[in-house]
Amino acid sequence: MEFFIQQLINCITLGGVYALIALGYTMVYGIIQLINFAHGEFFAAGGYMGVILISYLAAQGLHPYICLGLALVLSMGYCALMAMAVERLAYKPLRQASRLAALLSALGVSIFLQNGLMLTQGVYDKPYPTEITAGGFEWGLVSVSYMQIFIVVLTIVLLIALNLLVFKTRIGKAMRATSQDKVMAALVGINSNRVIATTFAIGAALAAAAGIMVGLYYGSVNYTMGFVPGIKAFAAAVLGGIGNITGALIGGLIIGMVEIFAAGYISGEYKDVFAFIILIAVLYFRPTGIMGENVDDTRV
Amino acid sequence: MKRLLALIAALAVMALVLTGCGEGEKAENVLKMGTMSPLTGPYAADGNDIRQGTEIAIEVIREQGGIEGFDDIELFPQDTACDPKQAVAAANKLINEKVTGVVGAYCSSSTIPASETLAEENIIMLTPASTSPKVTERGLTNIFRTCGRDDHQAPAAVKFMKDVAGVKSIFIVDDKTTYSQGLAEGVAAAAKAAGIEVLDHDHVNQGDKDYSAVLTKVKAANPDLFYISLQNSATGALMVIQAKRMGVDAVLMGQDAVYHPKIVEIAKASAEGLFCTFGAIDKDADAYKTFFTKYKAKTGNEPGAYSAYAFDSAMAYLKAVQAAGSADPVKVRAELLKLEFVGASKTVSYNEQGDSGSNYTVYQVKDGKFVPYWNSLSGEKY
Repeated sequence: MEFFIQQLINCITLGGVYALIALGYTMVYGIIQLINFAHGEFFAAGGYMGVILISYLAAQGLHPYICLGLALVLSMGYCALMAMAVERLAYKPLRQASRLAALLSALGVSIFLQNGLMLTQGVYDKPYPTEITAGGFEWGLVSVSYMQIFIVVLTIVLLIALNLLVFKTRIGKAMRATSQDKVMAALVGINSNRVIATTFAIGAALAAAAGIMVGLYYGSVNYTMGFVPGIKAFAAAVLGGIGNITGALIGGLIIGMVEIFAAGYISGEYKDVFAFIILIAVLYFRPTGIMGENVDDTRV
Repeated sequence: MKRLLALIAALAVMALVLTGCGEGEKAENVLKMGTMSPLTGPYAADGNDIRQGTEIAIEVIREQGGIEGFDDIELFPQDTACDPKQAVAAANKLINEKVTGVVGAYCSSSTIPASETLAEENIIMLTPASTSPKVTERGLTNIFRTCGRDDHQAPAAVKFMKDVAGVKSIFIVDDKTTYSQGLAEGVAAAAKAAGIEVLDHDHVNQGDKDYSAVLTKVKAANPDLFYISLQNSATGALMVIQAKRMGVDAVLMGQDAVYHPKIVEIAKASAEGLFCTFGAIDKDADAYKTFFTKYKAKTGNEPGAYSAYAFDSAMAYLKAVQAAGSADPVKVRAELLKLEFVGASKTVSYNEQGDSGSNYTVYQVKDGKFVPYWNSLSGEKY
């Protein structure tokens, strides 16, 4: 029983991280039907920016929690700006081109950003100051670290904030309108380019937050770290129903859960197999994903 | 007009080709060497250590006045990314560059196919880091190994577990590469033979960051010792940090790929007490100190785990070429077999098979540094 509870705690943490990354994929897909392969790189860049800022701010003599908070906000801002720049340079010129062209451009951006990180930050893993969030609770075999609580709480806070943004604000309304029909939205006076740029920025900011949490949780970041979680988060987004925000959360949690339980009860080497079997099975029986809406032909 | 332009263009191209040939003919007699190691990807850190170690060796030889009969030494570093396909492509590229000696590769799974490609052109390959026994057991005459072998490493690790640490049960995890899994299986077999209970042998995937599921298993199994056979130190650090956080209180032990100054830098306090098997490098010996100073001055970093082995591999090749008076592979091989010198990593001398012997030592992390703990050859503590 204790073993099961511990594994459940592990799943929620991992699922939370996947969900935060998956949100970026899902929002961008929802609005311009582009699978943004460079999204994992925003996650890595956020992780790097976080460690650079935390060390810099700590050197200024600030309290560790203030450093962490500031670093989180600033890295999210940095990645948001970076995502807007990428959108402007690599995707906007291709908006009228075929979707394949935009997809290839996204792959190119991913390779560019990953190698850019390698050349500027070096090939070695960069250690994170894990002391800030060290410690935790322990009951017998079950242990919960402060960091795991922090990840879950931050994920929930960010998700609530995102939901409020999408469903309660003007820009959220504009985003929903643009995702339903770009031309119609433009006709009623919505600046669709600005809405799309905002969507990219929000997605990247969430990925940056995930990057910092992963860095703090696992203790280091490196320039390849965006690739594998990027693929998993993409799978989570598809599983939950790409384009749907709640779906991304559910997808993230399911992928996290399947991975952890496959590794815990069968063997670590089979966990990816099971994660993707679930993905294939869901897509076979429910092609739009768990929470996906029925999409009419004009959008597919 | 168009025709005229075309003619001029054609002439210009021909002129380029001709001057190109001209330069080729009067080119200097350069000794061409290559390195093969993962310069990108998750193992890039170790790969760059190998490239830099080789560069330092070439610099040392240059400072000593170079090699007689050659005007200069040129290095062609290649990226294998620890991928067998890319390693073979890199080997072919080095063949095209007319390289005569190669230092590399890092991952055994790259070294094995690449050495077969290089063997077709009889190019000498000296691996500083591939410890899989298979590397030198395929009857190839072009392959030499400066580091130790896993069929010596596994018994050394198990002997330490039984005689020194006094453990009764172990839990093994590897990340499924030719090297890491091969070694983990060797340890499992040796442990069973020595009467140590192997509670489980589990695997993780390369590129994983989250080991919480497997570590929960380790914690539930409660072994005396947790043996970590991963392909590099960065993933080793992730494993160690998470193990400590989960409250795994078994003795932690890694192998030669987990051994790297970086693991201490990343895992910090979590790495304290970790044991690792690695070749015995005498860091107080003059040869190592000279190498250390040069390396630090040139790269700004301290040498990585395999830098010294790469340095010695390159030195062995250069010394053999010097003794042979040419880069002819048959002559160089004969000289390599005769060679014996005190290198930065150990006293280098190769046997007929290409091996140079293993001298595994168990190191322990103490106050943020790897300290020699127990010598497998003498069976005594330091």
